[in-house]
Formats: sequence, structure tokens, C-alpha cells
Amino acid sequence: MINLGSYLAISFALFICGILVMIARKNIIAILLGIELILNASALNFAAYTKFANNNLDGHIMSLFIIVTAAAEAAVGLGIIIRFFQLRESIHIDDAASLQN
Amino acid sequence: MNSTVVTYLSQSKELTDATAWLSKVLGLDASSLVAFIIFAVACLIVVGLMSTIGGLGTYAERKISADLQMRVGPNRVGPYGILQFLADGVKMILKEDIIPSGADRFTFILAPFLCLVGVFATLAVVPFSSGFILADLNVGIFYLVGMASLVGVGVFLGGYASNSKWSMLGGMRGASQIISYEIPATITIISIVLLAGGLSMGTLIGGQGGMPQEWYLFHNPFAFIGFFVYFIAALAETNRAPFDLPEAESELVSGYHTEYSGMRFGLFALAEYIEVFVVCGVATALFLGGYKVPFDLGTGAILVQKLGLNEMLAKNIGQILELGAFFTKTLALYYVVIWVRWTLPRLRVDQLMTLCWKYLTPIAIFNLLGCAVWMYAFDGRSIFSLIFDATTVVAGHH
Amino acid sequence: MFTNTLFLLSAALTVGGAIAVVYSQNLMHACIYLLASFFGVAGLYACIGADFLAATQLVVYAGGVVILMLFAIMLTGGTGNNINRYGLEKIAAMGNKKTYFFAGITAILASLVVLKIIANVLKDQPSTLLTSNEPTVERIGTILATDHILAFEISSVLLLGALIGAAVISRPRKERHD
Repeated sequence: MINLGSYLAISFALFICGILVMIARKNIIAILLGIELILNASALNFAAYTKFANNNLDGHIMSLFIIVTAAAEAAVGLGIIIRFFQLRESIHIDDAASLQN
Repeated sequence: MNSTVVTYLSQSKELTDATAWLSKVLGLDASSLVAFIIFAVACLIVVGLMSTIGGLGTYAERKISADLQMRVGPNRVGPYGILQFLADGVKMILKEDIIPSGADRFTFILAPFLCLVGVFATLAVVPFSSGFILADLNVGIFYLVGMASLVGVGVFLGGYASNSKWSMLGGMRGASQIISYEIPATITIISIVLLAGGLSMGTLIGGQGGMPQEWYLFHNPFAFIGFFVYFIAALAETNRAPFDLPEAESELVSGYHTEYSGMRFGLFALAEYIEVFVVCGVATALFLGGYKVPFDLGTGAILVQKLGLNEMLAKNIGQILELGAFFTKTLALYYVVIWVRWTLPRLRVDQLMTLCWKYLTPIAIFNLLGCAVWMYAFDGRSIFSLIFDATTVVAGHH
Repeated sequence: MFTNTLFLLSAALTVGGAIAVVYSQNLMHACIYLLASFFGVAGLYACIGADFLAATQLVVYAGGVVILMLFAIMLTGGTGNNINRYGLEKIAAMGNKKTYFFAGITAILASLVVLKIIANVLKDQPSTLLTSNEPTVERIGTILATDHILAFEISSVLLLGALIGAAVISRPRKERHD
């Protein structure tokens, strides 16, 4: 039951859920939740390959760096969102369209 | 594999005989079933014991505070009032369970359980004795730090879900206090991990000895300062006075658990008292030598030599001695925590944040660098071993 | 037997949490379901013997990122559907049927692409001899300090930049800049 196929299926499901969240929601913070799901899916993928395909720890290192980068990016992204809220008093993504047209 | 209660107990002949008999009876390999049963029983024991210690912590707090204030404290329920916590528990269960109408029901009900789960999950790696760690994970202390941050989520959600201004403020202050003070605590833990060379509780305690000069507290001056940094940071993490602004009764009408009544409030309080015990247990394990008994009595080897006992019996006696050592040291620190609460005034929230970010975090980073330099320069030996070796060299020259 | 049970529970928690994040209408609840999903992923890491990775996932994600999201939700005050002063002609913030329809189309297209790539792996399962799980902490530490030292140092600079950047961007200012 614990084999590469099942891990790939789980990370695939997480990835699809992340894409669904990113496209269906209009709240910027909800979109960030989707980004976290996608990053988790990719980290799980790397770790699964390092266990089942080759047994060195490079996949674990990659997953560690994905976790680190995701945390840093969540922090900066939320800082930008808070600044955006201080300026526009809204966190709807259609209000961030001033570069359109 | 990690060593657990099961690996300790499977050294005994009785257990292997029982497992073989059970395998014969059931027809399939019963070792995992026996392991599961032992784990279940051990978890029940630990959970029950810790809940009792949490309840007795409330009693101890009232008695010790009464002693400090020249009062008597509870003395009616049971001999010396020792059953007071049971009376409090019965009172809390019988209270009406009110959920405010504007509150977010799901989050309101979930928040105390998140706090409680965060605290009980850390009990899996607390080193009670060398055989009775529920799971001596390779990443033990790291896992403990992770699960302790779950309490912050529970505090924040409790404050948010109550839909009241006092609770929201208390919840935000509580969560920001917890996540801020995690940093000096974790950096100090990392400096002790440097000294020990591993993240597992067994490695951390194995590097120390029973006698005080072999503890990490006296290993080098940086670890000595680190103990106080860790103690202060861990006090603040458990929202314990003098850092208890989130639950300040005179300012925020009890903060993030204002709207909780009855047993839900009881769960928050129980989580706090058990978390204080876990934090004191971790401080003992990291700095005060954990469960190590002086003169190496804990391993039972001396008992086999001197008294000629059966080996498993000697090991069990050694385990009981180690349990006694661990609980003595942890409860001594618990007494200091209660003593500090009723002695010092409460810190204001900006003083709290200043203390963390401007004082404790730089000191913790300095300790980490100091420990690393010490390990490199003196080959990881403690200051006592250096003095001892220096004096023997000097004595040898004469 | 234990590992299989742990794997099933963690997988159910992960995928269930992710689906709940997709369909929940309250942003706070979505964060809590994301927390559950992170716990499930940590359990999945534990099943394949990645003990340090599981603990890191717990510390960083469940203890850091989720609290960060919760604080940001509180500071920007938006859990419902009208998070805009002029909320009348905007699409509902947590999604309505139209946005989910487009999201569904994108998801189907993406899944077709991804399935084409991983179909080969799912078809012929390589011999799954589960190697025993050894402790990884010491090996990861050695690799980080010898083979991947450059990535390690660059990630520390990245974290420093993120720390300073987030603090500078969102600090309160005296007058409005436009």
C-alpha cells in the first residue's frame, strides 16, 4: 500500500486542490492557501521519489528547501497583502486591477 | 528504529514468553498486537498521571500562594484539602455550557481541544526514565517544539471564536507572545543540541551524568545563561505570570477564555498546567541531567554487582530510581514557577515584547555562538573536566 | 500493519483537508482545514521514514505559516464574502458557481497533462521493497554542510531578506503614500 504510485496520487490530488483554490477564490489570502497546498504537493513528491527510486537524501534536502522557501514567501506575500489592505481597504483580487487596461 | 517503552519491556523474558503464547493461540504473529496493547496501556497511564498532576498543580498553586501570603489555602476537601482539584472538576462539569450566539461554533468548540492536543502530544517524548519514554524519537526535541506551537493556534482561535473584543485582544496578544518567545527557547534548545550531538531525548540526557558537575547547566557559562533564557522564554510561552497578560483578570476580564465556561474553560486551564509540567520536564532533561541518578544507580548494573539481584529486577529498580530523580527535579522547577508567579508583578505588553526581541533573542544567539566556539576550542569538554584535568596535570608535575 | 494504518489515516486527513479548503465558505475554517492537511502531510513523511522532514513540516508549517495566515486574516478583517467597501458589483470573495466552473475546467486540463506524465509510473509499479527506515537527521546535517552548502547559505540570505522585507513593507506609516 505504501508505494510510489499512491504517493504520486496523493500529491496529484493536493496539486489539483491547490489549483482549484487558486482559481475559484477571489480573496487574496485564500489564494495564498492554495499556493501552500501546491508547494506541499511538490515537497511530498520529492520526498516520495527519494524513498522509492534512489535512496540518497537529495529529495529530502529539496523538500526542506521547499518548506523554507514557502515559509519565506508566505511571510512576504502576507506583508504585501497587509500593505495593500492599508492602501485600498479591500482584499478582493479584482481591486488589484489598476495595471489592467 | 526508535527505542520505546516496548523495546525496554521486550528485554524481559516474561513478555517474550507471553507474546509467543499469544501467537500460538491466535495463529498469527502477535508481536504488533502486544506492542499496541502495551502502548495503549502506557498512554493511558501517562494521560491519567498527567491529568492528575495538572489538577494537583492547581492545588499546589493555591497552597503555595497561601503559604507565601501567610494564609492557609484549601484545607476542607480531604486531608489537607488535597482533593480540592476533584471538587473543582465536579463543579466545572456541572456548570451550564454556554456558547455565545454570535460565536463561530466550530472554532469555539475546537479551540480548547487544539490546546489540549498540542500539550498531550508533547507528552509522547517527555523522558520520564530511560525505559519509560513513550517514543524516543530521533527528532524528539524538535517534535516537541513543533507541537508546542499548536497551543498558540488554539489560543488565537479561542480568542477569535468568542466574538467579543476582550477575547479577541487577549487571543492576539497571547498568540503573538507565544510565537515571539518560541524563538529564544528554540535557539537555546539548539545550543544544547550542539553540546549533546543529537536531537533525541536519549542523546540529550545521555551526554549528562548524575552528579551536578556533569549536568549541562554547569558545562560552560553559555549553557548556564541559556538555562535562564530558556526558563524565562518557556514561562512566557505557557502564558504564565509574570507574562500572563492574555488572561489578566484586572485588565482584560480573563482574556481569551472569557466566554468559556464550565469544562471548556477547564480544558484550557488543564492544558496550561500540564504544559508548565512539560516545560519543566524539558528544562530538566536539557540542563539538569534529566532522569540520571547520582552514582550511576539508574542502570541497575551496580545493584547486580553489589547485591547480586536478578538482572531484570535490578533494571526495574533502576527505572524507579530514575523516575524519582526526574520527578524530583521537575517538581522542584514547578515550585519555582509557582513561586515566581506570586512574587513578581505582571509585565505590560510592550515590556513583554521588548524583553523578548531586544534582550532574550540576542542573548540566545550569543549563547549559540558561544557554545559552538566552546565546542570547537575545548573539544566539547565541560568546564569542570577542564579544571579537573588541569589540576591533575599540575599535581602530576609536582 | 501500523504503517499501513498510519498511511491511510494521514492520506485521508491530507486529501480531506485539501477538499475542505476548496469548498469551505469561511476563510477561518479554511485555515483550520489547511492545518489538518499539514498534519496529514507530516504523517505521510513519517510513513516513508523522513523523520526530520516530518518534524520540520510540523514546526514550520503547522506552527508558523498557519499562525501567520490567521494573523493576516485578523489584521485585514475579512472572513466573509463582502470584504470590499463597494461589495456590490464584485464577485463573491469565496467563490460562486461561475468561478468554481472555470476552476473545474482548469483542473481537468491540468490533470490531463499531469496524468499523461505520471501514467508510466503508475502503470508498471517497480518492485516495492520497502527499505527499512534509518534515522536521517545526521545524514541530512552532513549533506547540508558539505554537498549543498551553497543552497544552505543562500536560503539563509533569503530568509533574512524575507524577514526585513515583510517588516518594512507592512509597518504602519505616518501619512498615506499613493
